[in-house]
Amino acid sequence: MYGWIWRHLPGNAWAKALVSLLLVVAVVYVLFQYVFPWAEPLLPFNDVTVDNQ
Amino acid sequence: MGRIATAVSVFGELLITAGLVLGLFVVYSLWWTNVLADRKADQQGDKVRDTWAHENRGPGALDTGDGIGFLHVPAMKNGEVLVEKGTSSKILNDGVAGYYTDPVKSALPTSGKTGNFSLAAHRDGHGAQFHNIDKIKKGDPIVFETKDKWYVYKAYAVLPETSKYNVKVLSAIPKESGKKKAGHYITLTTCTPVFTSRYRYVVWGELVRTEKVDSDRTPPKELG
Repeated sequence: MYGWIWRHLPGNAWAKALVSLLLVVAVVYVLFQYVFPWAEPLLPFNDVTVDNQ
Repeated sequence: MGRIATAVSVFGELLITAGLVLGLFVVYSLWWTNVLADRKADQQGDKVRDTWAHENRGPGALDTGDGIGFLHVPAMKNGEVLVEKGTSSKILNDGVAGYYTDPVKSALPTSGKTGNFSLAAHRDGHGAQFHNIDKIKKGDPIVFETKDKWYVYKAYAVLPETSKYNVKVLSAIPKESGKKKAGHYITLTTCTPVFTSRYRYVVWGELVRTEKVDSDRTPPKELG
């Protein structure tokens, strides 16, 4: 999978490395900004109130 | 590479990716949410202090849209905690403590009436304002600061583990703390053990005295 991505990136090794880095940053951004805030309330790690439900 | 070898290698890469994502989630929960929450709490806290300094509203007037005051618990070593209305995650995720409106409505100390001022805040992440709740011992001061008054409470009972359905801890007279008569109580709730939400940790305090805020906002001696 990662090998396939690497082979399909344009340019020489440096260009590929740079684009890879940008892709990683983009993925982390999407995770922190959208995915984790969505997932967090669904997971039982941080409920602090006493409740009837 | 044969098709089976390719499939195995892709599967392996997916597993590694899943591991990295879970690791990132831990970083997000325990670090990034604190960064965001501290920023929010600072902003909102500053806003409350500004309002107190510049606006001359009548004593006891409440602007419940913002914070109603600050909680100081020296035993938790976390400075001041802004207190806002409500305990939804939207509110608590801003790194503040919230007073209960549901399932049991909290009494407000500013009302002067007897009752239970019940609060909740995060144990981990999102400011983790009650992270050190287990450091509060019987006799420790819990001070609530409003525009005009310091409310000095003293912790008198701790319930280190209870069911998350135990809403009775929020009662006006919290019987589990050993009280039978109406009084001015404060209840702090959060989750326990750390990093999970399996049980709830509860600390009760009782009002000892109130003190008028002077022009320098000199804190009461308990915070000295």
